[in-house]
Amino acid sequence: MMIKNGTVYDPLNGIDGERMDIFVENGKIVEESKEKEVIDASGLMVMPGGVDIHSHIAGSKINIGRLLRPEDHRKDVVPRTEITRSGVGYTVPTTFVTGYRYAELGYTTVAEAAVPPIGARHVHEEFADTPMIDKMMFPLMGNNYFVLKYIEEDEFEKLKNFVAFLLNATKGYAIKMVNPGGVESWKWGKNVESLDDKVENYDVTPREVITNLAKVNEELGLPHSVHVHCNNLGAPGNFETTIETMSALRERIHITHIQFNSYAGEDWASFASGAPEVANYINKNEHVTCDVGQVVFGDATTMTADGPWQHTLYKLTGNKWVNSDVEMETGAGIVPYVFRERNLVNAIQWAIGLELFLLIEDPWRVYLTTDHPNAGPFYHYPKVISWLMSNEKRGELLAKTHKGVSKMTTLSDIDREYSLYEIAIITRAATAKALGLRDKGHLGIGADADIAIYKLEDDFERSFSRAKYVIKDGEIVVRDGKIAKGHLGRTFWVDAGGEATDEIKEIFSEYYTLNFENYPVQEEYLPRQEVISCK
Amino acid sequence: MIHEHVVCPFCGCLCDDLEVTVEDGKVVNTKRGCIIAKSKFMNHDRDRAKPMLRKDDELIGVSIEEAMDRAAEILRSADHPLIYGLSSTECDAQRAATELAELVGGTIDNTASVCHGPTLVSVQAVGVVKCTLGEIKNRADLVIFWGCNPGEAHLRHFLRYSVLSKGLFTQEGRKDRTVIVVDVRENASTKLADIFLKIRPNSDFEIISALRAAIKGHEVGDVAGVADGTIKEVAEKMKSCKFGVLFFGLGLTMSKGKHMNIDAALSLVRDLNDYTKFAINSMRGHFNVAGANEVLIWQTGYPYSVNFSRGYPRYNPGEFSAVDVLSRKECDAALIIAADPLSSFPLRASEHLAKIPTIVIDPKNSMTSLVAEVVIPTAMVGVECEGTAYRMDCIPIRLRKVVEPEFPSDKEVLEEIIEKVKAG
Amino acid sequence: MIRMEVVLISGRTAKQGASLEVGKTSEEYFENVAVIMMNEDDMKEIGVQEGEPVKISTEFGSTVVKCKKSEVNRGIAFMPYGPWVNMVIGMDTHGTGMPSYKGAKAEISATDENVLTVGEIVDLIRRG
Repeated sequence: MMIKNGTVYDPLNGIDGERMDIFVENGKIVEESKEKEVIDASGLMVMPGGVDIHSHIAGSKINIGRLLRPEDHRKDVVPRTEITRSGVGYTVPTTFVTGYRYAELGYTTVAEAAVPPIGARHVHEEFADTPMIDKMMFPLMGNNYFVLKYIEEDEFEKLKNFVAFLLNATKGYAIKMVNPGGVESWKWGKNVESLDDKVENYDVTPREVITNLAKVNEELGLPHSVHVHCNNLGAPGNFETTIETMSALRERIHITHIQFNSYAGEDWASFASGAPEVANYINKNEHVTCDVGQVVFGDATTMTADGPWQHTLYKLTGNKWVNSDVEMETGAGIVPYVFRERNLVNAIQWAIGLELFLLIEDPWRVYLTTDHPNAGPFYHYPKVISWLMSNEKRGELLAKTHKGVSKMTTLSDIDREYSLYEIAIITRAATAKALGLRDKGHLGIGADADIAIYKLEDDFERSFSRAKYVIKDGEIVVRDGKIAKGHLGRTFWVDAGGEATDEIKEIFSEYYTLNFENYPVQEEYLPRQEVISCK
Repeated sequence: MIHEHVVCPFCGCLCDDLEVTVEDGKVVNTKRGCIIAKSKFMNHDRDRAKPMLRKDDELIGVSIEEAMDRAAEILRSADHPLIYGLSSTECDAQRAATELAELVGGTIDNTASVCHGPTLVSVQAVGVVKCTLGEIKNRADLVIFWGCNPGEAHLRHFLRYSVLSKGLFTQEGRKDRTVIVVDVRENASTKLADIFLKIRPNSDFEIISALRAAIKGHEVGDVAGVADGTIKEVAEKMKSCKFGVLFFGLGLTMSKGKHMNIDAALSLVRDLNDYTKFAINSMRGHFNVAGANEVLIWQTGYPYSVNFSRGYPRYNPGEFSAVDVLSRKECDAALIIAADPLSSFPLRASEHLAKIPTIVIDPKNSMTSLVAEVVIPTAMVGVECEGTAYRMDCIPIRLRKVVEPEFPSDKEVLEEIIEKVKAG
Repeated sequence: MIRMEVVLISGRTAKQGASLEVGKTSEEYFENVAVIMMNEDDMKEIGVQEGEPVKISTEFGSTVVKCKKSEVNRGIAFMPYGPWVNMVIGMDTHGTGMPSYKGAKAEISATDENVLTVGEIVDLIRRG
């Protein structure tokens, strides 16, 4: 296949809007192809397929979210076609619709960012019904019994082995921490409030969990950094915790949906932006990457492993609340939420996200997410892009929001606008790089032929909402913003070795309710896998 | 040959520690399972179904291919087919059944509609505070069973999960826990209770609501025959425990009030979390009814009672639930898989199944197969083929295969029927 | 003949569960499922002994099963899930999909009628 005469944005190869031809053969980008198929990309933008570093698309948590929201589904029904399955969209889309909508946006790889290890099988089952995209998932480790135990006992080698074992058993991709220590304390109705609080019943602090797992991450040579949802998420004044977390270590660390952790103020009444401080730290410290978790006004379904935070949100809103604690490993909470333009706190949250995008200077270290579906559904990414690319666009929305925003944030003082090149960085090149996916996020020779082709329009939101073409593994799967062909994507996981020791097995038989032999995810759940090895 | 760590495909406990001995392709012994597990494995080859078609009002033996052809023909020509059952099969078959329902524009429902359907409706209204069974094993010092009888229905629940088990913070097992049973009658479970609260049938809603009020410090007085003092005592135990759990069963979902009972119970437990840590878990019956809900949710957004006649999923219990669709004589064909509605539905609902062309896919002869137009035998899930099942707390476990099947699996049959429907 | 009003509860029993794995047309299933558990004093009142047939009637239909002594309170009767109890359960689900399997009002009396076999119940259903 030849993609002829497109305007190419391929930041990993330094290509910024050059007119050129791209050749594809056998699912890969090649130097030249003799195949006859030609896509005339004259006047179109050509980018690598999008790579989402943090989204909630499969598994027990999102599925409870789907169960919880019939009132949502009815607003966004998706009929079947000859080539696609039916479903529903809105804040918690069904699996098929998730795959289709990502593809229609030009996204081809997505990470499910929070998986209770014992529920890993569930995630892989849903992955099999999530078409079009390549997937990976991050098992939750920040409140795992073995992690707490081995840190408490100062058994670093055992900890390292356990982490490797768990990645293997779950077919997971990266170390995820959510409110480290706090979720274990929540199992007794408590929480941790600082990096140095003790976890309930353990002589371990969140700081120790973060630093030890970060060290394990580097010693194992995992492709991604540790992926951290910080303590005190959502709370006024939490930007200090976030900075403390980042400065607790020198290893690589990815702070996820950092918008929710960049708050100043002492309470809801004095709620304000801490984005400048957070951005300032990140600008000075290269070991940190982050994704934003940008708020999009409208309906959302909040869901995290952060049980105590979800309880707080339930108490704040009075909305229906799900809490789901998972033996030995983690927890979860779900609360429906509406982000309102006229609500001062919500408007400040919206502005903080944009401040972070605009104040963090290096686009290779700040990525586009909405922490789908927490701050809004992923298919609103084109809106976010339009705010980043146009000061005028964000000014229009800013004018509609609560007046207090200008006082409590610096957004109205910022006139930076993202270029298309920078958009390509924060949506595909940098995320692929941060995940250590060498064949993704670029269009160099040998890369996977995952390509998004957009019409260049004055309205960037429209440009990015419906890709003109999407090529996945070398085949056209989207035409004119509609699915043209079904596709089963890969599942990536990381083989870091790791051995099930007798001690691990013994603890299983004592304290789990599942036999050790029935715990690891079997090969049957990986219809198309690609194993990534460590450095 | 001895198979270890075998998962029992009977109830929602999904005990995964069975030892099954197979000689010459037959199960000759099982260890550790309850009497039902033993019966399931030891009797798996009895009363097995054969491919059959009804001709001149008699069921006649045919080839499985012929049976599948006829099944596809029935579904293709129906205006409003019903697909029902699914709780005693694995998730891949459930995925295929949903695809088939969508393809033929029919209604799909699973047995949740006659067990914990009201629970699912209530979760949609209230939310739920729940946990996996290991949390209870490791932490619970107060365990309440309300309208459920694990002593007869989930025989190893006490031992493995809820009462006798020892865990991280319950090293003494039974001694570390207070057990309260609430029921309308003495039964196998009440014997184990520290407190047995015997209540009048159909008074659950009032008593749960009284407990909610008492927990918030309101005076309630005697309610539905339960003394004021008893309500206060139970409320106090709930508030003062460290980690409580309320298990409930069909005593709440099937009694007067139905989902209103569950609304009250979910709200009670949610409120208790202002004072301590408390969870509420439903006791799911069939081994993969939870999976039937999970699969339908991830494919359609809804747990049961889903209709595809408009090409997209619509959900409405009472409208698209099997008992209602049948009672109102709305469907003109039915595919029953991995369930036996004739032995579980009100007679009037069953009568319609006998009148319309009904396809039964089941490893065994069932009552429903006696009125069927087409009978398609399959491999027995968890004995003769593998697949995923979700435990009552929604932990997914891979079922094992211990003997060779004579017939294809539910999944294979459904996929074949899908191909035939598409081809026709 | 004395007719007594009871609240009818149906539910799972271990024997019902085990015998359905043997087969719905088996002797075990008939023995374990075509039964009603009653309070001893209620049995005396309607004049039946353990193992004798009783007729249960509701506004939706009637069924005949053998009675068994049980610890239930007076005024309550329990039947295992199965085709016999289904003959007296109403089909109105009150918009939930769930019939009232527990807590229905029923009348119980002694009877000379036979307990139907599964085959006979199926014939009844087919005749509609």
